[in-house]
Amino acid sequence: MAATILYGDLSATSATARPEGDALWLTTGDLVTATRWEIKPEGVCRDDMCIPVPEDRAASMLREQDGATWFNLAEFARYIGQPYAHDEAQGTWYFGAGPGERRSALESLQAPDFELQDLEGRSHRLSAHRGKKVALALWASW
Amino acid sequence: MFAVACDTKGREAVEPFIAAANSTYPSVLDTKHVVAELYNTRNVPAVFWIDEEGTIVRGNDPVYLTRRNRETGETTINERYQDAIRDWVANGAASIYVTQADETLRRIGQPEDENAQATAHFRLGVHLHEQGRREEAIAQFKQAHALMPGNWNFKRQAWNLGDIEQDYGTTTREAFAIGIPMYPPLELPEPPGA
Repeated sequence: MAATILYGDLSATSATARPEGDALWLTTGDLVTATRWEIKPEGVCRDDMCIPVPEDRAASMLREQDGATWFNLAEFARYIGQPYAHDEAQGTWYFGAGPGERRSALESLQAPDFELQDLEGRSHRLSAHRGKKVALALWASW
Repeated sequence: MFAVACDTKGREAVEPFIAAANSTYPSVLDTKHVVAELYNTRNVPAVFWIDEEGTIVRGNDPVYLTRRNRETGETTINERYQDAIRDWVANGAASIYVTQADETLRRIGQPEDENAQATAHFRLGVHLHEQGRREEAIAQFKQAHALMPGNWNFKRQAWNLGDIEQDYGTTTREAFAIGIPMYPPLELPEPPGA
């Protein structure tokens, strides 16, 4: 069964994903492609961070099946307090940023950076305006 | 100035406004409401003042600097707010309109657990909507609304993509009457000598 995985800015389709109720099992290869998390001896690692798999969750997070190692991404999200939502009919999963991550980003009052395009397709990054004062205005047509 | 249009409908919805503004500053489109999540906003408009070092020195002001009337196309300017910005440009941190760090944080508010979960549903809803999965999108938007009734971005955007009565079983009048404030107070000090 296939699943579409939206992981923050990343988007990937896994042809072999195995969604089982509240679980989303991915091969370790698809895990890296979809999320950049990688299984290592020290735990689940991304960039310079590793999260050890706790013993009491090992069975619900990792399993060997059909000659491959599988990782339960939904269980991992619950463990690290990451919000996620999924649509069963479409097999689409969205994993977002945790409230702690957002809180600590704002607490410093450093303006969170982002890059978006204007209608001509030109990219603009907020931090490119460092050194000048910026009035950041959010608006909408609705 | 750096303007961000929080609009899932995209170009067709925002182009008339952006064309009319004919701005020299960056005016970008944010169909997924990424910036609203980063800055913890719950409605538009919302204006943040960011100083030369990239620090937020005033946040979440519910004001339009200019406003274009949908029917007449006429543009009006919020002079009091523009004067406040001019004062900040001239005086920097000494401007009476700059807020202290703890006050700035209070005005921006803290992202709560429900907020993050509601955002996950909203974001999945946007994706499903973009894939043409209308019904599935509405189901996700409803979950976002239930988890975070005070987030008017989630509500107004979802209604804008569908039909508020048919899809959400309410009316704008009813929905706005539930007693959840649409906007924080502006709390702009009176200019000296006023």
